[in-house]
Amino acid sequence: MARDILRAWLRLLALSLGTTMVTLWDWPVALTAPAGAAILLLAWAKARIILARYLGLASAPFWRRGFEIALAGFALLLLGLYLAPEMV
Amino acid sequence: MSDASVFDELPGDLMIWVLIVSELLVFGAGLAAFLAVRIADPAGFAAAQDALYRTGAGLNTLVLVTSGALAAWALRLREAERRGRARLCLVGAALLGLVFLAVKSAEYAGKAGEGIGWDTHPFFTFYYLLTGFHAAHVAAGVAVLLLVAWKDAPRNVEAGAAFWHMVDLVWMLLFPVIYLLR
Repeated sequence: MARDILRAWLRLLALSLGTTMVTLWDWPVALTAPAGAAILLLAWAKARIILARYLGLASAPFWRRGFEIALAGFALLLLGLYLAPEMV
Repeated sequence: MSDASVFDELPGDLMIWVLIVSELLVFGAGLAAFLAVRIADPAGFAAAQDALYRTGAGLNTLVLVTSGALAAWALRLREAERRGRARLCLVGAALLGLVFLAVKSAEYAGKAGEGIGWDTHPFFTFYYLLTGFHAAHVAAGVAVLLLVAWKDAPRNVEAGAAFWHMVDLVWMLLFPVIYLLR
C-alpha cells in the first residue's frame, strides 16, 4: 500500500481508538463540555485526514483549508447545540 | 492572462465535489436539527441513546476507514496501470461495505426485536432517518465500487472512490453525534 495512504489509515485507526477511550469513560456532568469537545475534535481530525489523504486535498491547499475551516465551524455549532441544555 | 482557476486545483471531477458538498450539507443539517431537538429533552435523548449498539457502530467505523484506504489505494494502482490489483482493492472495499451493512442490519433487527421503532421517541426518528439514509448511500457506494471495478477507466475509479470517501466522511460526523455525545 502507498505509504501516505497506509499512514492515513493507521492515524484513522488510532483516532477511532481514541474516540472509544473517551466514550468508555463515564464522565461526570461537570466534564460534559470537555468530553463533548474531545469527541468532536477527534471527529474533525478524522474528517481532515479523509479529505487530505483519501480524497486528495493534500495537493489542493486552498480547498483543504476551506473544508477544514468549514468543518471546524460546523463542529463548533454542534458543540454549542450539545451544550445548550447545560446553559438553560 | 492565465485561464487557471482555483477549481482546477481540485482533484477529480468538479461534479463529484458538488455532490460531496451537497451531501455534507444535507447530513449536516440533519445532525444540527437532531441536536437542536435534543435541547428540549436531553435526559430522554440520553436514555434512548443508551439502547444503541455502540460497539457495533465503533466496529463499523474501523470497517469504513479500512474500506476507504482500499479504495484510495485502488486509484493509485489504477493510475500505475496495475489494473488487476486495483480491481481486487475495489472489490475488497465493496465487501467491507457489505460488512458495514450486515452490522447495521443486525443493529436494526435488534431494535425491532426490542419493540423500538422510528416513532418510539424523537431520538429514534432522527436515528433511523440519518443512519438509514447513510446506509442507503453505503449500499449505493458498494454498487458504484463494483461498477468501477468492471468499467475501470482511471476517471471512473477516481469518481467511484471519491463517492466512497464521501460516505466515509459523513459517517465520521454522524457516528459521534448520534452514538457518542450523551
